[in-house]
Amino acid sequence: MRVATDIGGTFTDLVYVDVNGNIGVEKSSTTPPNFEKGVLDVIEKSGVDQSSISMFIHGTTVIINALTERKGAKTALITTKGFRDVLEIARGNRPDLFNVNYDKPTPFVERYLRREVSERVNYKGEVLTDLNTDEVKECIEYFKKEGVEAVAVSFLHSYRNPLHEQQTVQLIKELWPEVKVTASSDITQEWREYERTNTAVLNAYVQPAATTYINRLENELKTQAEIDQRYIMQSNGGTTKFEKAKEAPINMVESGPVAGIFGAAVLGEMIGEKNIIAFDIGGTTAKCSLIENGEVKVSTDYYIERDSRNAGYPIKTPVVDIVEIGNGGGSIAWIDGAGSLKVGPQSAGAYPGPVAYGQGGTEPTTTDANLLTGRLSPKNFDYNVNLDTVRSAIDTKIGNHFGISPEDAALGIIRIANSNMLNALKLISIRKGYNPQDFTLLAFGGGGSMHAPALALELGVKKVVVPIASPVFSAWGMLMTDLRHDYIQTYIQRMNDLTLEEIDRQWEEIEKNALQHFSEEGMESANVEFHRFADMRYLGQEHTVKVPVANGKWTEEARAQAISDFHKLHEKNYTFKLEEAQTEIVNLHVTAFGKVEKPQIAKLNRSGSVTDAQKEVRDVYYENKGWVSTPVYDRDKLPTNQVIQGPAIVEEKAAVTVIYDQQKLHLDDYGNIIIEKEDN
Amino acid sequence: MTHSTTIDPFTLEIVKDSLLAAGDEMFVALARTSMSPIIYEVLDYASGLTDAKGNLLTQGNGVTGFIGMLTFMVKETLKKYPGDQLKPGDIIIINDPYQGGGSHLSDVGLVMPIFHDGEIIAFSANKAHWTEVGGKDPGSFTNDSVDIFQEGLQFSCLKLYDEGKVNDALVEIIRSNVRFPDLSLGDMWAQVAALRTGDRRLQELCEKHSKETILAAINHLLDHGEEISRQELKKLPKGTFYAEDFIDTDGVGNGPFPIKVKVTITDDEFICDFRGSSPQVVGPVNCSYTGLVSAVRTIFLAITNPAQDVNDGVFRPLKVIVDPKSIMSAERPVPVSNYFETLLGSLDLVWKAMAPHLPNRLTAGQFLSVCAVTLSGTHQDTDEPFLIVEPSVGGWGASNRKDGESGQFCMADGETYNVPVEVAETRYGIMVDEYSLRQDGNGAGAGKYIGGKGVIRSYRALSDGQAVTVTFGRNKFLPWGVADGHDGSPNEFYVVASNGTTDGPFGVYPRYKLDTNDVVQLMTGTGGGYGHPKERPADQVAMDVKNGYFTIEEARDYFLVEVDPVTFDYKELAGR
Repeated sequence: MRVATDIGGTFTDLVYVDVNGNIGVEKSSTTPPNFEKGVLDVIEKSGVDQSSISMFIHGTTVIINALTERKGAKTALITTKGFRDVLEIARGNRPDLFNVNYDKPTPFVERYLRREVSERVNYKGEVLTDLNTDEVKECIEYFKKEGVEAVAVSFLHSYRNPLHEQQTVQLIKELWPEVKVTASSDITQEWREYERTNTAVLNAYVQPAATTYINRLENELKTQAEIDQRYIMQSNGGTTKFEKAKEAPINMVESGPVAGIFGAAVLGEMIGEKNIIAFDIGGTTAKCSLIENGEVKVSTDYYIERDSRNAGYPIKTPVVDIVEIGNGGGSIAWIDGAGSLKVGPQSAGAYPGPVAYGQGGTEPTTTDANLLTGRLSPKNFDYNVNLDTVRSAIDTKIGNHFGISPEDAALGIIRIANSNMLNALKLISIRKGYNPQDFTLLAFGGGGSMHAPALALELGVKKVVVPIASPVFSAWGMLMTDLRHDYIQTYIQRMNDLTLEEIDRQWEEIEKNALQHFSEEGMESANVEFHRFADMRYLGQEHTVKVPVANGKWTEEARAQAISDFHKLHEKNYTFKLEEAQTEIVNLHVTAFGKVEKPQIAKLNRSGSVTDAQKEVRDVYYENKGWVSTPVYDRDKLPTNQVIQGPAIVEEKAAVTVIYDQQKLHLDDYGNIIIEKEDN
Repeated sequence: MTHSTTIDPFTLEIVKDSLLAAGDEMFVALARTSMSPIIYEVLDYASGLTDAKGNLLTQGNGVTGFIGMLTFMVKETLKKYPGDQLKPGDIIIINDPYQGGGSHLSDVGLVMPIFHDGEIIAFSANKAHWTEVGGKDPGSFTNDSVDIFQEGLQFSCLKLYDEGKVNDALVEIIRSNVRFPDLSLGDMWAQVAALRTGDRRLQELCEKHSKETILAAINHLLDHGEEISRQELKKLPKGTFYAEDFIDTDGVGNGPFPIKVKVTITDDEFICDFRGSSPQVVGPVNCSYTGLVSAVRTIFLAITNPAQDVNDGVFRPLKVIVDPKSIMSAERPVPVSNYFETLLGSLDLVWKAMAPHLPNRLTAGQFLSVCAVTLSGTHQDTDEPFLIVEPSVGGWGASNRKDGESGQFCMADGETYNVPVEVAETRYGIMVDEYSLRQDGNGAGAGKYIGGKGVIRSYRALSDGQAVTVTFGRNKFLPWGVADGHDGSPNEFYVVASNGTTDGPFGVYPRYKLDTNDVVQLMTGTGGGYGHPKERPADQVAMDVKNGYFTIEEARDYFLVEVDPVTFDYKELAGR
C-alpha cells in the first residue's frame, strides 16, 4: 500500500492507494509544533494497517514555518573578503516605490556573525588568491564562542569553481563536527552572489530544525512499521529520500503546494489532457500553474515574503512555477477609502473564520457570499450556521453602502473575487503567450470546484476537471511522484563559440553527478531518466528562455535545433525574435527522474440514474437571472458517464461544484467531474 | 463622487482592475523584452495608459522619477497632432526635454493612440532610458555638457509609425547616430511591443464590456483616485512651510546654487511654490518643468498615501509654481543630462519642509542622489568594448520609529536592482574589490534612530584606457537629521592608482582615466539620524559597536555609552 501525508495549515491530509488501485482519504488536525504527531494521528484515524505500507510519501510545512516564524537556528556566514555585507545590501530595490518608510528585508544573519576570509576566484573560475585556512579557523573559534548552530559558506564565483567553499566546509567539519554547515555551491550552482548567499544562509538556518523533524518522524514510523521507501516531497514536484532531504532542506520549502500541481499533470496524463491550468483554492489563497504538454514548469525564480510592496528573500532552488494570490474562501470583503468593493488579501482564517462559522467572525467573506447566494448550503458546514447573521453582515458591511440587496452584494463579492482569480489565471496563460482555449482547467482544493466553472466561462477554457479526491488533491499528487533532482549550472557560453566536446563534457558531468545521487538513494540507473534544458538568451539580454535540448552526444544539428527552438520560444514568450542576433547559454539544466512504479487507479463504472443521486433542489442566486431552482447532486452517488445539464450543484465532503446554464457535466471512468460548455 | 452612472459598481470595479492589470502587463512586457541592463536590471522606465485627453489612468513604474511624464507626453502629442491627424497604427516618439513629458534625451518616450470604432478612446505610452542616444560621451548622459546638442539625438514628437508603417528614415538616423544601435533599437522595438499589448487589452475590454462601460470605468478610476487623495489631504496640517537647500554644482565649475520652496496646504490644495530658486545654469543639472512636476508628485504620494494606485485624479489637488527659466524649469537650449539631481533636490525640499510637521509620515534626509556611474573601456579577455551605466545604493534617513535602511537606491529610483558582482565581473573589464557598508567614524547619522549606512563599491580596472564618469550629488551638503539626529555623510569617491597614490575626494567628475589596477572607490552617503543619540538604548549602542556600525569612540562621544572592545559590555556615561 502506498500512503501520502500532507501537512497543511489546519489539517494534515492522508490519501492512500491499495494494491487494487482503490483510493481512500482522511483528514486530521495539524499539531504544531510537533507536526509528526499529526502525521501519526491521521495514519491511525485512516485505519490503514501500518505493516502494509510499502511506500510513504510526505509533504511538510516545517521548512516554510521555520522561515516565516523566524524559528530557525542561530546562523553565521563566511564570505570572500570585502563582501560580508552583500547579504544586507541585497539588491537595493524598493517595490513600494513611494513609501519613504519602506522596510528592507532584514538579513537572517546579523552583521557580527558575518565574517570574511581571504580567498578569490575570478569569473573564469581561476584562483587568484588561495584560501586562508587560518582565517577560517579564527571564524570557527569566534562562532563557537557566540553559540552558533549553523554556518553558511558563500564565496564569489563558487558556481564556477567551488574549491574554496569545499575546503572551508571540510575544515569546519573536521574541527567542529557538531555544527551544521552549508556551502552555497552545494545548494545552487547559479551566478548572482546575493541570491546564492541568501539561499545558503536559509538552508543553514532551517537545517537543524529539519534534521530533528525528519529524525523524529523516521523514528516514530520505524516503531510502527518498517517501511523501506520513505520519501519527502520537494519544491520541484518530485521526491527525495529522507536522508537526502536533511542535506538540503531548503529544497522542501514548497513541499506541499507543488504536489497538487504535479498531481494535475499526472491526472491529465491518465485522462488524455496534456495542456492544463492547475488551480488550487484554499482558505486564504488561490494558486495556479500552467502545465504544457504534460510538463510541470520549474524555475529558480522563487522568493519568500515577496509581494508588490516587499522585496522578499530569494531562494535559488528549483520550485514549480506557481502564481499565488490572496483570495480564498476565507478572504474578507471590504469597502476601501473611496467606496469601492475589495475582496482579500486579508482572510478570516480558520479562526474566527467566515461569519457562517458562528465563531465570532463579523467580516463577510467569499464563503459567506457563496452561502447567501445558495451556492453553499448550511448543511455543507460542520458548524451551526445562522443564515440571518450572514445576511446581516453582508447587508451592513457591503449592501448598505451601495444601496442594494444583500443577495446582490453577495453576488458582487463573488464577482470581485472571481475577477481577482481571473487576473491570476491570465497572468500564467495569456500574458505568457498561451491561449486558454488550448487548456483544460483542473480545479481542486476546498474552493476550486466552486469558482472554476465561472472562471472557465470568462477565460474561454473549454473544459473543467474536478478530480477525484479534489479537497486533498495535493496528497493524491504525492502518491504519483517520482524521485526528482534538478541540476542547474551557470555556464555562460555563446552558442556559436561552443565546442561540442566541451558541452558534452558539461552534460556528462552533471549527469554523472545525478547518477551518483540516485545510487545513494538506492535508485538503479536503468530507472533514471534525464531531461535537458538550456536557459538561453540573446547576447546582451538578461532574461532567459528555458529551451528543451537534445540528450546524448551533441551534434551540429542539435546545436542548430537548440538555436532555432530558442527563437521560437522567445517569440512565443516575448512576442518577437531577433534571428540575426547572437544567442548565449546562461545555465545548463538537467532534470533527472528516478522512476518509481506507479499505482494503477481503478476505474469506477457506477451505474444507476442521475435522479437517484439528487439530494435536493435549492434556490441559487445568479447574475442577471435572480433565484433559480437548481438541482443538487451527491458526487458519491453520481453514475459515470451520464450527462447533467446546468445549472446544477454537485456536493462532496469538503467541496461543492457549481455549474451554470451554459454548461454540462458528467463523471468520467475514474470518478472525475468533467464540465464542458454546451455546444451551441 | 462627481460622476453618476447606470453601470453597476462591480462591473466598474472589475473593468478598473482590468485596466490596472493591462498597465502591469505592459510594464512587465517591456522589461522582459529589453536588451539593455539599464531597463531590465535598473527598471529605468515607466509605462501606462491615459484617457483620450491624456489623463493618466494607470502607470507601471520601475522608478518614481517618471511619475508625471507619460501624461504630459500624450498631451504634447495631442497638441502637435490636433483634429484627425492621429491615425490608427500611429506611434509617436518624443524625448525633447523642453516639451511636455521631457526629462533628458536618454529617456525616450513612445505614445500610441488607441482607437475603437474610429475614435480615440485612450493612449498607451511608455518612456525608457536608452543606453545610448548619441551625443558627446558614451552613454549619452554626461556631467559636463554645456548645451543640449552635446547630449544626443532629439525627437520632438515625431511619427515613428505612420498608420502602422514604420518610418525607415528615422530608424536609420538612429542607427547611425548612436554608439550601440542594437541596444537602442532593441529597446525601441520592446517599447513598441509593450504599447501594442496595451492596445490589444483595451480592444478586448471594449469588445467585452462596450465602449461606454470602459469610458465610465475610466471616470470612475480618476474619481476614485481623487477621492482618496482628498481624504488624505484633510489629515495634513494646514499652513505654510518653508525649506531651503543647495544644488552642489553644475558639473562645469559653477555652484552651489540655492533652491527654495514654500509649501501651502489648505483644505483642498497642496501648493508647492519654488519661486526664488536659482535661474537655469551652464552645466547639465537643469531640470525640466515636467521633471519638477514628477518630483512634487513623488513626494506628494509619499506624504499622502504611498500605497494607492496612481492616476491623474490623485494629483488634482496638487499645484506647482515656479519661475520661468529656473534651474528646475529649464528652457532650450541649456543642458539637462543630470536633471535628476535637481529633481531630487526639489523633492527633498518639500520633504525637508514637511518632515518636522509629519513625524509619522516622513523620515530624516537620505543620500539623495542617483549617484550615477558610467565606466567605459575594453574587456581584458574579449577585447570588446564595454559600458557600465548604473546608479548606486546609499543610506536612507531614520524615522521616529525605526533606523534608516542601508544600501538602498535613492528616492528617484525604485524597483531598481544593483548589478551583481559576479555579473559585473563577467561582463565588464573590472574586478570588484569591495562591496560593503560604510563606517563613517564621525557620528554621521547618529540618533535615537540611526541613519541607514552608505556603501563602498570599488572597481579595479583590468585594462588600460578606461574612463569613469561619476555624478554624485549631496557631496557638499549633507543628508539632514531631524529632532537632534545627526546629519549623514557625503557621497564621494576616491581613486587609488596602481602605484598607491590616492586622489580625491570628488563628487562630480567627468571621464577620470583609469589604467590597469587603478581602483575607483565609490562611497555613498549615510542617511540622517532621528532624535538625540543619547536617547538610543545603551544595549542597542553596544550591539551597533559589535556589528561594526559605529566605533567605540563614536559610541562614547555621541551616544555617551562606553563599550568594552572585547566583551561588548557597556556602561552609560554622564549626560544620558
